[in-house]
Amino acid sequence: MAGCLPKYFPIVVAALEAADRDRYTFHGSTASTGGSTPMLIVSGPIAEQIGMNAAANVFGPGNRANATIGRAMRLIILNVFQMIPGVSDRSTQGWPGKYGCCIAENTAASPWSPLHDELGFRGGSSVTVFAASGFHNIENHYTDDPEALLSTFADAMASLGAFSDGESVIVMSPEHAKIATSRGWSKRDIQDFLFAQAWREQGELRRAGKVPHDAEPRNDEARVHRGLGPDDILIVVAGADAGGHSAFLTSWSRARGSLRQSRRIES
Amino acid sequence: MPLRLLDPTVIAPPVQAAAAPRLKSFEGLRIGVLWNGKVNADTLLRETANCFLKQHGCSLVSEERKPSASILAKPQVLQRLAEKSDFLITAVGD
Repeated sequence: MAGCLPKYFPIVVAALEAADRDRYTFHGSTASTGGSTPMLIVSGPIAEQIGMNAAANVFGPGNRANATIGRAMRLIILNVFQMIPGVSDRSTQGWPGKYGCCIAENTAASPWSPLHDELGFRGGSSVTVFAASGFHNIENHYTDDPEALLSTFADAMASLGAFSDGESVIVMSPEHAKIATSRGWSKRDIQDFLFAQAWREQGELRRAGKVPHDAEPRNDEARVHRGLGPDDILIVVAGADAGGHSAFLTSWSRARGSLRQSRRIES
Repeated sequence: MPLRLLDPTVIAPPVQAAAAPRLKSFEGLRIGVLWNGKVNADTLLRETANCFLKQHGCSLVSEERKPSASILAKPQVLQRLAEKSDFLITAVGD
């Protein structure tokens, strides 16, 4: 389907099985005005075995596996689940990622353990499915200070348009990952930093219409963080070696309606 | 080898469901309310229920809330509503 080779099929199956879990909320995330796509993050040996792209233009065109696995997911949503745009898929705008959004982790350029190990699929490969509602390029070329760099990420995460209690995915470029870890910070340290820095005052959120005007308890100076904790921030390295460009993908779910799901790929 | 085209579409199975019998009167009936969890839907539902309270002498006996608009109500929630009330008011709010 969609030009997938047979060897890609285990990823499509694992992604659908992950998306079928209740906590992903498959129907809601494909029907909602929020217009999300199931973003797939593949980690482990299968990515290289089938020729996935984890480097230059990782979100863009040019690689058959990335393109067709993501496209197969969309065609299954359209043709099998009958989520028809304007009928059962009520996305207000949608976004280009709805054509297909599938990337592989750049394990060779990552300073951390591979994502599949971190998720508990040691020795295998995994796919993570995240109901993503959009893509925010994080550009920073002129600092080698980890805190300054990561503040750019936190600022994107705390932007009013994307602000919610939902989860976040950070796809960090190799160059940014190198700077972020230059003082020995672990991935956990970075999650903690981002969670601590990605906040807005409750009053700002109220004035901007991001929380109901009568929301209680009322404390306009209180800091409200994006997400519920550092674990809500998934960090993965992907992209080309050169370039200060990373990405923040915001969750479709404004609260806990959909949570990312990961699954071992059986091949 | 000739090119073989496959149609990946499926026809949805028919839904086995029927509408509940229409109520002959609202007088004195017990109302259940199911809120989808979105802001303002609770206000809309309570005001609608109030109309029945005032005009038909109904009573509001059960209010339940879904954890999220996108998540189905749990069977035990629907069971509670069915046991306590004669009819249900629900709506999609935002």
